[in-house]
Amino acid sequence: MNIRMMTAAAAAAVLMTGAGAAAVSAEAVNPEDVTGKIVIYTSMYEDIIDEMQTELEDVFPNLDVEFFQGGSGTLQSKIAAEMDAGKLGCDVLMVAEPSYSLELKDAGVLHPYDYAEKDKLVFDYDPEGYWYPVRVCNMVLAYNPELTDKSEIPVTMKDFASDTAMKGALSMSNPLTSGTAYSSIVGLLDLYGEDYFKDLGAQNVAIESGSVALTKLETGECKEIMVLEESVLKKREEEGSALEVIYPEDGSIPVPSTFMIVDDSYSANANSKAAEALEDYFLSPDGQKLIIKGWMYGVRSDVEEYPYDGRPLSEILANAIPVDWEKCYKEREDIRRMFQEYVTVPEA
Amino acid sequence: MNPAKNHCFDIKWVLMLAVVAFLLVFQVFPLLYMVFRMFFASGHFSMDAVKRIYSYALNRTCLKNTLVASGLTMVFGVLIAFPLAFLIGRTNLYGKTLFRTLFVTTYMVPPYVGAMAWLRLLNPTVGTLNVFLKNLFGLSGAPFSIYSIGGLVWVLTTFYYPYAFITISRAMEKMDPSLEEAARISGASPLKTLITVTLPLMLPSIAASALLVFVAAASCYGIPSIIGVPGRIYTVTTRIVDYVYVGSQEGLTDATALAVFLMVMALILMLLSDFIVGKKDYITISGKSVRPALVDLGKWRVPLTVLVAVFALIVAVLPFVTVFATSFTVNMGKSVFVPGNFTMKYWGILTSRKSIGKSMRNSVLSAVWAASMGMIVCLLMSYLLKRTKVKGRQIPNFLITLGSGTPSVAIALALIMTMSGRFGINIYNTMLIMVIAYMIKYMMMGMQTVSAAFAQVSPSMEEAAQISGAGWLRRIRDVVLPLIVPSIVAGWFLIFMPCFYELTMSNLLYADQTKTLGVELYNYQTYHSQQTASALAGGILIMVVLCNTLIYKLTKGRVSI
Repeated sequence: MNIRMMTAAAAAAVLMTGAGAAAVSAEAVNPEDVTGKIVIYTSMYEDIIDEMQTELEDVFPNLDVEFFQGGSGTLQSKIAAEMDAGKLGCDVLMVAEPSYSLELKDAGVLHPYDYAEKDKLVFDYDPEGYWYPVRVCNMVLAYNPELTDKSEIPVTMKDFASDTAMKGALSMSNPLTSGTAYSSIVGLLDLYGEDYFKDLGAQNVAIESGSVALTKLETGECKEIMVLEESVLKKREEEGSALEVIYPEDGSIPVPSTFMIVDDSYSANANSKAAEALEDYFLSPDGQKLIIKGWMYGVRSDVEEYPYDGRPLSEILANAIPVDWEKCYKEREDIRRMFQEYVTVPEA
Repeated sequence: MNPAKNHCFDIKWVLMLAVVAFLLVFQVFPLLYMVFRMFFASGHFSMDAVKRIYSYALNRTCLKNTLVASGLTMVFGVLIAFPLAFLIGRTNLYGKTLFRTLFVTTYMVPPYVGAMAWLRLLNPTVGTLNVFLKNLFGLSGAPFSIYSIGGLVWVLTTFYYPYAFITISRAMEKMDPSLEEAARISGASPLKTLITVTLPLMLPSIAASALLVFVAAASCYGIPSIIGVPGRIYTVTTRIVDYVYVGSQEGLTDATALAVFLMVMALILMLLSDFIVGKKDYITISGKSVRPALVDLGKWRVPLTVLVAVFALIVAVLPFVTVFATSFTVNMGKSVFVPGNFTMKYWGILTSRKSIGKSMRNSVLSAVWAASMGMIVCLLMSYLLKRTKVKGRQIPNFLITLGSGTPSVAIALALIMTMSGRFGINIYNTMLIMVIAYMIKYMMMGMQTVSAAFAQVSPSMEEAAQISGAGWLRRIRDVVLPLIVPSIVAGWFLIFMPCFYELTMSNLLYADQTKTLGVELYNYQTYHSQQTASALAGGILIMVVLCNTLIYKLTKGRVSI
């Protein structure tokens, strides 16, 4: 009974303040006045979260921020089950790519917010303010220079799938369970057509998690892998690993991940004011630096920093394979099906 | 009927009804809701989801793979477990205690960590064991490939035969030896006695353990995802997770439709095993002799010991060594013995992270709760099944088997959908929801062990106590429990262990305060490094072995797993 009443009250509050809220920039809000609790579902690395948590405690001393970390697939299924039950366990989502945001926007669980400095963002955002990009995971190729000569392996996404000398020595993430992998194959599908999937299938590319693939690169079981740049950079900085990124000549695939505020009627703490303040912080140059420290790319044109051993964002953007988010969302079933028929389960 | 009898009748039924109610609310309702959702996804009844899923050729391949892989695992598992249980439990084999510990220890390694170890040992390009064999015999290619249905069956078997081993061992040690003695006295050879007396007597336990192995293998996700998927061998569980991770409502529906297949499989198998065991009443423990005589292996003693030792080396020692070696290696491409490639830092991470201590506490707590509550349910339901003539007494056993046959991910999602307030119960984000999920998934292990024990204890002793005036509770406490205590301990541990490092359900159900070791392990494995995950798995292993040794010493060898 309590929950229902609270939800109703929260919904009413949203209705009353909703119109005004969008117009007011949170710049005016003093961080010390941001109170209550916020639960964030995120797929960022745990180490990064530890650091963010400390930083957020400094910036918002009176706000209790709790991160719930999980893989994007795990989180999306958790959210789906929660939506079925009528209430989410979080207030903010920092998970998955824009196509998922489109879906959640359609489902009506998101809260719109007009971010004041959106002109500084170099990636797509929702014109109505339901979601903004906040960090970028870049899909690249990687190899092990200790075991393989770079001249012997493909340096384009195209050859990754078509250079038959690589058959059986390749690995990539599963587009059926990972959002970034899915976005990447949609980009590649647009660029090279269905044949790209057929070629991948003929290469016997192994489909597995990035951490397993990286280990296989170290042991030599795989010669080249399609992987998120951040996972290689992290290994290089933390373990002094020799594994190297190849920025494909036909382009890497930067996949932005979004920041979404859950509507108060669905959220765990009905604290969208605080969520807006958090969004301002994460999109600010200071917040972006935290992201970049976590080996991901930022989303602002006015932040010069880039991840350890990475490249400036402008260079990444200069040679990037674009992804059609609308298509990702609308044609998901067909694309998934096509991929699994050509690549994951060949016979049948 | 005298009043005293009426009174004990009541307590018995109150307790049993409570358990049945518990099962109805926390298991039947969520799972039914899932099935209901599958047919009514669009608001009205429709078979679309079922048709869509089962008419899809890829899915049928997955069904076939699951049936083949878990069927073979079941056959091999029992074929390995029975002779091992006999040799270790009933003969004068050398080093029996050590062997038992080793075989049981396999049960304590999280399967996904073990799968990683096998992947490193047997991958076709640079697998350690493959390279070793290649050099040893001068082969041109790798002798084995882990990425095959054979590889999948191999890893599944090495991880799930202990289920059968533990179940069969228990029964074997509690067997009435007089039947065997009679056969021997009548001139049967030890082998003939084994085949004509011991084996048939063990049939209920063998059937129970075969069911356990099949269900565990068919609903396992960790091993197929690590071994099968890269080799393009998709199983029902990996497909279900593919559907679930779409993260859409339709994805959930499709996943359910596929999950139902596993539930149905578990049910069919259970009916089949009931049919095989039939109405035969194998009472092998009566109030008489206790210690079964050991069979003298004679001239076979040394060769058989060597054979078992080789098996233990390959199946238990090798993967453990691999896990430990991994946890000390900086660059996985080089041997741990290469200068500069040895490190303690991954073990350092374990001790420096405060969240690991908390997760450890949560894991112990939730697994203890699940195992203890689970055993209470199993005890009462076994009693109901084996000692009463109530109509429908098989139903709870059915439900428990059904729960185990349901893929973990389906259980977790069903609980989230039904237990987060929508139907008046809100235990989402608490430890209780995890405990309940664990119970649904793993109670079958306890149920099989305890009901097999009940089946072997003659009711005559209980009746004797009853005639002497003991009430139901007293009879249970003084007669039944002492006779089946080893089975209870074994059952408790069989539930405790997988809950302790459970991964799939915990990953969906944990909240900030209820994070468990399985979640940590999964995160390290997937997002950080194999090395940290191996260190964590190694730590878990050391702890469990220490616990087991401690219990063994404290109880002077009467209780251990």
